[in-house]
Amino acid sequence: MADLVQSAQPGIFTSYPHQDHLSVELRHRLGALEIDVDFRLTKPWTILFGPSGSGKTTILRAIAGLLRPDFARIVNHRRPVSSTKEGFAFVATDVGVWRPAHKRGAALAAQRPALFPHLTVIENMTYGYRGGGSGEEQEYVDRLTATLPALFQIEHVLGKRPAELSGGEAQRVSLARAAMAGRKRILLLDEPFTGLELPLRDLLISNFFAWQSKYGTPVLSVTHDVAEAFQLGAEVIKLAEGKVVEQGPVEAVLADERARLLTQLNRPTSQNRDVGHPI
Amino acid sequence: MDTQALWLTLRLALTTTALLLLIALPLAWWIASGAGAARALTQAVVALPLVLPPTVLGFYLLVALGPLTAPGRLIIRLLGHPLAFSFSGLVVGSVLYSLPFAVQPLVAGFRAVDTALLEAAATLGASPLRTFTTITLPLAKPSLVTAAVLTFTHTVGEFGVVLMLGGNIPGATRTLSIALYDQVQDFNYAAANRTAGLLLAFSLATLIVIYWRGAERRPLLG
Repeated sequence: MADLVQSAQPGIFTSYPHQDHLSVELRHRLGALEIDVDFRLTKPWTILFGPSGSGKTTILRAIAGLLRPDFARIVNHRRPVSSTKEGFAFVATDVGVWRPAHKRGAALAAQRPALFPHLTVIENMTYGYRGGGSGEEQEYVDRLTATLPALFQIEHVLGKRPAELSGGEAQRVSLARAAMAGRKRILLLDEPFTGLELPLRDLLISNFFAWQSKYGTPVLSVTHDVAEAFQLGAEVIKLAEGKVVEQGPVEAVLADERARLLTQLNRPTSQNRDVGHPI
Repeated sequence: MDTQALWLTLRLALTTTALLLLIALPLAWWIASGAGAARALTQAVVALPLVLPPTVLGFYLLVALGPLTAPGRLIIRLLGHPLAFSFSGLVVGSVLYSLPFAVQPLVAGFRAVDTALLEAAATLGASPLRTFTTITLPLAKPSLVTAAVLTFTHTVGEFGVVLMLGGNIPGATRTLSIALYDQVQDFNYAAANRTAGLLLAFSLATLIVIYWRGAERRPLLG
């Protein structure tokens, strides 16, 4: 993906690509699950991969500032690192630093789209901007408002309210709203493509990934879908029972998972009917 | 018909409603935004006028605002007269007496707003205050209307607090319900009938409007 990043056209977006990377140290007990992770997000798009109940959503919520972890040290580092050693701390429980969610610049698209029911789609999308900002910011917002609806194929619903949307439309609006927060420090997506219908889903994954790699902030997305991880071709952090098992390129980290899937697909036809179920 | 009493009643109800919304909005927001002993205690105190005889509240206010207490003496020094037996005194009494009718619908309305929406607003960068004014308040608008209408109606129908705290001074503290009491005392049943009919019609009309709107499907007090 590096060439995609470098090939970004000069213009209004070029001052914002991936200046940041995030380091996450987190320990949190949630019922029977003991989350204990330590990782760094250095790529434009990273996937948290793991079965349900492995702590993926909790990690996203801790980064976003929606829950207070037992221990956490989550720091955003500016690039180039050499220019300053200082980071922007989201939370550092050991030294009593707690930055509330709205001051972190961590936009979260939850798994269930939480659209504001009294606002139209376009008002939902621009909610993160109050207006009255600099001319540069206004230009940036205008640019996003002009490009994102096409990318998420929601141009036909911009004036509608959430109650009038289908489930898939609502999900896409929720993603677009989070993506609008393009100048924030990180974009957190919880199962962003789950439940979307197939031809559209494939298109969205490739378009959104290409767009985000060029223009957006770093993304941390959550999935339990091997195919989606390979499609995104991103960096993968594999989780199991609250711990990081492995981190690296998807081809390396999820090779076994894919092999297992393929074996299942190649079994005699009598068993193929079972393949539709999640593993 | 005692038109002076009618206007006084409307003025009292309007003033009380406006003041009470100013007080109840932040109070209800605070109560709805969490749990704990402090909030439980506050809610209990706010709900007291629901179960307390109005004369009890009126008696305590009469004493508290009079020359027997330090705050009372301070008020007398500042205003040049005691709050009791004045229109301002009635407003203070009415605000306290109608407090649960404003706070409780608002708390229920604020609590009914989906937490996921508040979280989404926060991660998009909205401060708690902006989230309250742009998300919580618009979504709880029916509760706001209910709180205002109930406060207004309840103040119009107030008797015990007014009698204890305000006495019966035409143009200052003599509201419709007091006028009605007076008219009956004077055996002026024709006038009493008109006053009572007006209060009944007003209360019924207000309640019909509230239920007709149907916007508030939750229990009004809860």
